[in-house]
Amino acid sequence: MKPQHHPDSSSLMSYAAGSLPDSIATVIACHVSTCEQCQRNVAEAEQLGRFLMESSLPEQSEEESQHIDLAPNARDDILALIDSDEYVEPQVVVESDVQEAPSDVPLPLQPLLGKSLDNLLWKSMAPGLKQFVLPATSGTLRLLRIAPGTSMPIHSHTGSEVTLVLRGSYYDEMGRFGAGDVADLDPEVEHQPATATGEDCICLIATDAPLKFSGLVPRLLQPFFQL
Amino acid sequence: MDTFGSASEPRGKSPNSSAPNNSAPDSINQKLVDLGRYRDKRLFLAIYDHFAPRLKSYLVGRGAHSEIAEELVQEAMLSVWRHSSTYNPDKATASTWIFRIARNLWIDRMRRDKAHLLTSLDSCPTDLYPDLSFQPSLAPLDGDTLKSAINNLPQQQAQLVYKVYYQGKTHREIADECDIPLGSVKSGLRLAFGKLKNALGGEL
Ligand SMILES: [Zn+2]
Repeated sequence: MKPQHHPDSSSLMSYAAGSLPDSIATVIACHVSTCEQCQRNVAEAEQLGRFLMESSLPEQSEEESQHIDLAPNARDDILALIDSDEYVEPQVVVESDVQEAPSDVPLPLQPLLGKSLDNLLWKSMAPGLKQFVLPATSGTLRLLRIAPGTSMPIHSHTGSEVTLVLRGSYYDEMGRFGAGDVADLDPEVEHQPATATGEDCICLIATDAPLKFSGLVPRLLQPFFQL
Repeated sequence: MDTFGSASEPRGKSPNSSAPNNSAPDSINQKLVDLGRYRDKRLFLAIYDHFAPRLKSYLVGRGAHSEIAEELVQEAMLSVWRHSSTYNPDKATASTWIFRIARNLWIDRMRRDKAHLLTSLDSCPTDLYPDLSFQPSLAPLDGDTLKSAINNLPQQQAQLVYKVYYQGKTHREIADECDIPLGSVKSGLRLAFGKLKNALGGEL
């Protein structure tokens, strides 16, 4: 099924420009890997990027241009590099008709997580709430696994926070978010998500804040632990 | 204010350049296709002379030190040499293709530099820009139209686009630096993207 909720175009632009925090870029990549509409928007934002890159030779003073100009031997160096290069482009393997086993781990995360969300070492945070923390070089990235029929406290987001549903679904004031949907809320929008009944809801959640002060989880835990 | 400099004509001053300064998009695309076919070093140098200074300027703009930028330029151009046979002009212009290579190398470099921040043992990197089976074919954009669309953006929106693309700033960094709410950064970029699309007939 096609996703109903997509990342904001400001996020797609920054993703195309390579300017998102690592954590948020990962969530966007996971959505984009399956959403043709967003792939088109990203490709367009990349066209803008290459246009700006191509025009990135500003008027320069002599002094500045020495900084920007390549070293005098750069051209010889690259020729030497390609002369000694023995790289051979691998033959493209034509996809066979054999269907791979379906996986709800997004393609960009499969090198890290494998193909099964159920085999991860989930850590219990509170009744009905488990998490799995993923590495990110900036911001925080985590999987949350929320039991069916769980209602979360009303909260808003002070920083950037982007959520991708991988399995199950939840509802809030914005509607229903199912697998493949992204919540890329403007900060300060208050909402109260609740998971649907039937199965666990597994979400991938990124923030741009450092781990200690971040995001949804501490706030989620507040009612449990009086943090 | 011309935040972005003149864009339509290459103002490349590459003193080493012996290649004819023929860098109309079509001819660059064709050069890259031919490079994949014939592996001709003169073709490669023509592409190098066009892109290397621009890539370096772009990377320095994003905060790379001059030597690092130069290293990445060479790495990117080596990639161009290696992978030119996979370039498909129906899917992307040569410059978009090369822009992606440089962007991905820059991000890999940033992540490697910060890898020590990963507490997790499994610091196996995720693939942020996977090769997608669906690659939309886009009409080549008209540089003059885009340039005037950019120049017609309200100053603040142009600034936002500039900070995202040239300086590599995150939304939060921009909000802090300009002392505006994060929501305004997002909405400003959203508006700018819509306007640029509109100016180009719904397609960038
Ligand atoms: Zn989408």
